[in-house]
Amino acid sequence: MKSIIKMVSVLSVLCAVAGFVLSYLKISTVTPIENQLLKYVQGPAILNVFKDVDTSPLEQRKSFIVGDGKKINVFPAIKDGKLFGVAIEGFGQGFGGDIGVMVGFNIVDDTLVNIDVTTHKETPGLGSQISNERFKKQFAGKPYAVALKSQGGEIDAISGATVSSNGTVLAINDAGNQYKTLKEEIIKTWNSGAKNEFLQGIHQRAVE
Amino acid sequence: MSFYKEFTKGLWNELPPFRLLLGLCPVLAITKTAQNGLGMGLAVLFVLVLSNMIVSMVRGIIPKKVRIACFIIIAATLVVAVELLMQAYAYPLYQQLGIFVPLIVVNCIILGRAEAFAAKNPVNLAIADGLGMGLGFTLSLTFLGSVREILGAGSIFGVKLFGESFEPFTMMVEAPGAFICLGVILAFMNHLTKMQNRKRGLSSDKAGNGCTVCGGCTACERGKASA
Repeated sequence: MKSIIKMVSVLSVLCAVAGFVLSYLKISTVTPIENQLLKYVQGPAILNVFKDVDTSPLEQRKSFIVGDGKKINVFPAIKDGKLFGVAIEGFGQGFGGDIGVMVGFNIVDDTLVNIDVTTHKETPGLGSQISNERFKKQFAGKPYAVALKSQGGEIDAISGATVSSNGTVLAINDAGNQYKTLKEEIIKTWNSGAKNEFLQGIHQRAVE
Repeated sequence: MSFYKEFTKGLWNELPPFRLLLGLCPVLAITKTAQNGLGMGLAVLFVLVLSNMIVSMVRGIIPKKVRIACFIIIAATLVVAVELLMQAYAYPLYQQLGIFVPLIVVNCIILGRAEAFAAKNPVNLAIADGLGMGLGFTLSLTFLGSVREILGAGSIFGVKLFGESFEPFTMMVEAPGAFICLGVILAFMNHLTKMQNRKRGLSSDKAGNGCTVCGGCTACERGKASA
């Protein structure tokens, strides 16, 4: 009996200490990890989406708080001093976990400029084909609410990987919803002119 | 049993991947380049030293029946810590190593050293053992990674070694190349041990296999009995 109590208590104390250490580390690495993700995952994806921009969308990014307190990063694409598009990352449930897609929106006619897959855990060689150019290029120029052909849309799913294809579409629609809610604010924030630069400064301070 | 002796045994006599043949899964899988090998080795070194240290510190209070569970909790905590730190400060390496970082938890070197050494020895010797074994593992991985990178990609640590005319031996950076390299290295190590034993006047038949080649006597009950 005594030994059982000792075993249970030693294990409990050990687990408690482990849990405490890990939660502390998790909290303290949130910001560096976010920065690394921006630099190594989202940054290259944005450059794939918007090939021709004047300023770095990464440096010009802003965070917006949407309805339920979620923070959304918006990356503006500026050409000749004028905002022509924004990139937003959306997530959708795929076969092996969440699929992250960086979606570029054309601010003028609400179409998709291009997309790029940032993270996925799909089956190699099957679901992983969602990051192939052949699949991705279908989305360019489409209205921002997309759907697979089987659901009455225009997107060809990858044969044998319907769940992954659908996950990508879900992620794009997730970003699309974000875009719809934020569109007015986005245009207000980045429209050209000195007045807006002033507003931008205020906004940045407010976010930071 | 000095600090120095415990430290050096992991560097040659009980070199983890090539002598004890422990932890072969990451050895084969991630040594496509020298840099990956080094990164993985350093992650294992970090986890191994700390887990040896902690296991040795708490060895008096851990009940014998739940010791394995305790060792795994310690190793798992350290591995998650490494994973988070790697994500925060060395993201490209994290992308390269992928699933193999969390798998350090079940790497048999970690549990093997905790059970065979750290749980029975004082803290300073446990740290020496962890440092030696970890460093041996790191060097082995870096060596294997270098060989495969030189043959398979014509470069080392990303620096091109040969001119344009070099045709890379692509198979070496794929899975079969890992097995072939490991096999050749093991054959070479066995041959070396055989020669050494012959020089010392031991019978060469016995040197070909079994205890003499393994060298992991401290980790092995049979070796202890005969020693």
